[in-house]
Amino acid sequence: MTVDSNLDPRLSVDFCGLNFATPLVLLSGCVGFGEEYTRIHGFSNRQAGAVCLKGTTLSPRLGNAPHRICETPGGMINAIGLQNPGVDRVIRDILPTLDFSETRFIANVSGSSIEEYYEVTRRFDDSPIDAIEINISCPNVKEGGVAFGNDVRMSAQVVAACRRATRKPLITKLSPNQTDIAANARACLEAGADAFAAINTLMGMAIDIEQRMPVIGNNQGGLSGPAIKPIALLKVHQIYQVCRDHGIPIIGQGGIASAVDALEFLIAGASAVGIGTALFYDPLILTQINQGILDYLDRHDLANVAQITGSLCLHGPSLPACGCESA
Amino acid sequence: MSAGVEDAMNAMNHGSYRDTLFVEETEVLSHEAFPGDQYLLRLWSPECARRARPGQFVHITCDPALPLRRPLSLMRANPRESWIEILYKAVGEGTRLLARRKPGDRISSIGPIGQPFQVHPERPRPLLIGGGVGMPPMVFLADRLRQTPGMPSGMPSGAAPGSAPGEVLGTVPGSAPGAAPSTAPGTAPGRVTAWSPLVILGSEVPFPFRAQPSQFIVPGLPPAVIAAMPLLDDWGIPSRLASLQGYPGCFQGYVTDLARSWLQTLDAAALAEVEVFACGPHPMLAAVAALARDFDLPCQVSLEEFMACGVGGCAGCVVEVKTPEGPAMKRVCVDGPVFDARMVF
Repeated sequence: MTVDSNLDPRLSVDFCGLNFATPLVLLSGCVGFGEEYTRIHGFSNRQAGAVCLKGTTLSPRLGNAPHRICETPGGMINAIGLQNPGVDRVIRDILPTLDFSETRFIANVSGSSIEEYYEVTRRFDDSPIDAIEINISCPNVKEGGVAFGNDVRMSAQVVAACRRATRKPLITKLSPNQTDIAANARACLEAGADAFAAINTLMGMAIDIEQRMPVIGNNQGGLSGPAIKPIALLKVHQIYQVCRDHGIPIIGQGGIASAVDALEFLIAGASAVGIGTALFYDPLILTQINQGILDYLDRHDLANVAQITGSLCLHGPSLPACGCESA
Repeated sequence: MSAGVEDAMNAMNHGSYRDTLFVEETEVLSHEAFPGDQYLLRLWSPECARRARPGQFVHITCDPALPLRRPLSLMRANPRESWIEILYKAVGEGTRLLARRKPGDRISSIGPIGQPFQVHPERPRPLLIGGGVGMPPMVFLADRLRQTPGMPSGMPSGAAPGSAPGEVLGTVPGSAPGAAPSTAPGTAPGRVTAWSPLVILGSEVPFPFRAQPSQFIVPGLPPAVIAAMPLLDDWGIPSRLASLQGYPGCFQGYVTDLARSWLQTLDAAALAEVEVFACGPHPMLAAVAALARDFDLPCQVSLEEFMACGVGGCAGCVVEVKTPEGPAMKRVCVDGPVFDARMVF
């Protein structure tokens, strides 16, 4: 379906063959199943190029015990625990209510085994969803709870399984909680990923000193918000070295709270940018970020957003080659 | 999103708040400090003031240095004068920063949010129990009860979901003047359609108002317990105060003990007209829920939880509830904050 956008066409970007009306993407876990924020006066999904739906598993999940969130300096920690009604109910009850003329909707697939990733992806493949994002930061139950995304081999196995299950654009959401994110991206690319989202949250903890207990019910959680932006920028820059020669786009994300932040990610190599925590700060932030990007295009006499992507000029020697045999 | 989708998201069969939310750049009109780190904040907030109902809250930016918003219950809303009033206690970094805001300052607010209390005309003796920072929603509910005798505050039981907002109690304040109940709870109500609320407030820090002897005699309450909230007295609504701190005229004990002593004096017919509404610390709400169970009374409680988005998007503020299908996680922001006590306790 074509998105009927009222945004300036210079904002539109091509993402794996899908037209995004703007590079702004609403991130998974921040906007429920796509309609929650639309009740806010002045908010519209049309201001986003795509909306990532809440993480979905094969069976319904209750999620973690409270507290699930707490604010930390420059950000917040969350441990929701993938509360969701299961893939069948998402496809049967939720997708039919979404207005696909407003924006692109991206499913977010989670699992505790490779088989589960495959099966959830397969069911979304037979649905109107525009693209599928794989959250590979989930713990692998069969491997003692090690997160798939923190291990290059397991990451690639998940991507390969999901690739077999769908021909829709497949986005791999990379974890920053690993030594060499570029090596992981390379393995996922070779396993069939069409795009990357980077970065997922960083694992962290907050402690209540009176109780001497973690604030979060799950003890640990994912850190997001402006505090992680410099880390995310470097990771996107590193992944871009792998992706650039293959034409693989990146949704840059991690603490974006202004047009300047978004532009930094685009310059570092992102083709689109994700907004999450900042939406909690200001639900109407999309309008000002879109406008800020347009102002930048005007100021630099650029025809479209794609001309910003990867325009970073490094100090010193030029960028290293991507290292892929197929490049 | 349809009701069915809400069910799907939450594996629940209880609707969530779907009305329009407004992001407003409000202005501080007044900000008054009380002992015990309590503050009374009045904000110019026309959209919220026009729509707010008892039990709802606003999600506000306490300070730019701490951008995650904080949910704060509404104590009053005046649509004619376009203001909302919030009573809060500075308990954490956010509310401590909020306490520094001065008249004229701008504060971003999203609201009104959440499921309001639902009163039922067939139960015209609402018992309102508020503890600490749980007092404000009880004051708000009392305010609206006095303004609209015999009218339900939300959808009446059995009404179709999505009924016209005209059913909302108090959207036209002042339209029912002289609504103050002439009879105190426990006495035979002269008009079956008039509300006869009783408000019991508890605090372990000095009350954020100067308590005064109540002008209302409430049969069934200890005669020495005379301290009341002046605002409620002015509205013609009987109230009593409870504390363990030995404040003069107050009941020496818990709000639930005082409520129990009153309920015990009611006959079956009178009890059948009582519905309990409560907001306060979790242990107090558990005790109120147990009290309501003991007397077989319907009970609605307003909950709080750490909150991120405040609009139902992040599922960060959940509470575990009991449903016929088993346990479920409900979002305090839009599935609550008001819940049927039997689902929670």
